[in-house]
Amino acid sequence: MTHRLADPPHDHGNVHSLLDVVGLGVRYGTTEALRDVSFSVGRGELIGVIGPNGAGKSTMFKAICGLVNHTGVVEVNGVHCHGHTERMDIAYIPQRNDSDLHFPITVGELVLAGRRRFRRWWNRPTSDDRAVAAQCLKKVFLEGADDRALSELSGGQLQRAYLARALAQQASVVLLDEALSGVDQPTTLELLEVFRSLTTEGTSLLVATHDLALARRRFDRCLAVNGTLRGDGPPDQVLSVGLLETVFGSGASDAVAD
Amino acid sequence: MQWLTDPFQAEFMQRAFLAAIIIGAVAPVVGTWVVLRRMANLGDAMSHGTLAGVGLAYAAGVNVLFGAMGAGLVIAALLVLFSSNRRLGQETVIAVLGTACFAIGVVVISRLDTGVELTHFLFGRVLTVTWGDIWLNLGLGGGAVLVVFALFGELRLATFDHVQAEQVGVRVELVQAVLVVLLAVVVVISLRTVGTVMSVTMLVTPAATSRLFARTLRQMTLWGMCLGVSEAVFGLMLSYHLDSAPGATIGLVAAAVFAIVFAATLPRRMPHHHRPLD
Repeated sequence: MTHRLADPPHDHGNVHSLLDVVGLGVRYGTTEALRDVSFSVGRGELIGVIGPNGAGKSTMFKAICGLVNHTGVVEVNGVHCHGHTERMDIAYIPQRNDSDLHFPITVGELVLAGRRRFRRWWNRPTSDDRAVAAQCLKKVFLEGADDRALSELSGGQLQRAYLARALAQQASVVLLDEALSGVDQPTTLELLEVFRSLTTEGTSLLVATHDLALARRRFDRCLAVNGTLRGDGPPDQVLSVGLLETVFGSGASDAVAD
Repeated sequence: MQWLTDPFQAEFMQRAFLAAIIIGAVAPVVGTWVVLRRMANLGDAMSHGTLAGVGLAYAAGVNVLFGAMGAGLVIAALLVLFSSNRRLGQETVIAVLGTACFAIGVVVISRLDTGVELTHFLFGRVLTVTWGDIWLNLGLGGGAVLVVFALFGELRLATFDHVQAEQVGVRVELVQAVLVVLLAVVVVISLRTVGTVMSVTMLVTPAATSRLFARTLRQMTLWGMCLGVSEAVFGLMLSYHLDSAPGATIGLVAAAVFAIVFAATLPRRMPHHHRPLD
């Protein structure tokens, strides 16, 4: 069952929600990967999604984006989502190892990909699209990186380039899968700074992470997932010893204490 | 100088060069996406499998190019049908289909009593290309190039990150289907020039060579075209002077260029060149 620990910092479950998820469930064949997940996301929230490997964090993100078949309801800005069209306000940034980093594409081209939703397939990007893309790169501190090949970027820069693409898409909710994995401490802090600057502009971010200590210190709210939503609320309460042991098993609370 | 001009004297050689230039220019444009999407095995299966259509068309007295095109489309449709089977990987389905269609072609052609040799279709007979073939290849090839350029942005999005592409409205499966049809078109226009077996060489090798050094997709496509045309023309010249099989000679030239570029770009591709430190 879900432990609703406290009112989250924003107004949820009403017209102000950017994202409403109700009774979300996913099955892969006979395996139930996720069941009965319900939560809402308000404007400008930075939410950590925690859970062990195989808990269903990525599945939950993919279901929200409509990339896997699911039961339950996903509403974006109050609009019930049937296909992909209604979900274009959500951007999903998959784990880094899912992308071919040596694909011949420049940072500018990557960011312009976010503008595709605003034009027909036969139209080329306009000068307005290019101006928006340049602005988005500026917001993630990658100004002037347009012509750099993706393979030339560091891990942190790459995540920021993907974020710029999500911004160019004008996504109001960004789902980042393991964005902070495999990057060093300064890069993590740099990314968190970018996350924070985006939330102050009204974008909400859900970041799947294994770093429980970081989740406690740096996020407004945490969702604990393990097959279903086990906890939802301020990090101090979601990351309590009792709940952590429910989600991760015994010994997990040491990771937060560290 | 005479070495260069001699092969162009006879009209049949001029037609052969035109046919080689068309395949050299068109195949890498489609091949760029075959390489990037790691579909080379599909190209291989398609090139072998079209022999079924060639054999059946020949037996029925229909233009073999139509037979090849029909076989390519049937293979594409069957592939979509069988790929949904989760127990088998797509590579397995591709191999089964490709070899089965190849076997049909070999059996049908070997049963024909018309004196036609299997090797004509497998390795092409570029010296017997007619003006009709050239116009047909030009039409099909030009169409394929136009489709790739029209869909360039969609192909880029669907290939690099199909998840995000779907999210922003790209019809990823339709793009994939179009590419498979283009693959069949390339095999068809390769038929007389380099043959079904060697068509995958023109499809993959020049594009793979330019992949080694090109920074952007446009560069990769344009360099692929330049390499494809040069390799086809030089290969044909070489085969004229060496009196060797034209299709295979073109294939060898393409492979030699790949090997040289691979060796020359090796230091650039060493791991420490990929990613700077954070």
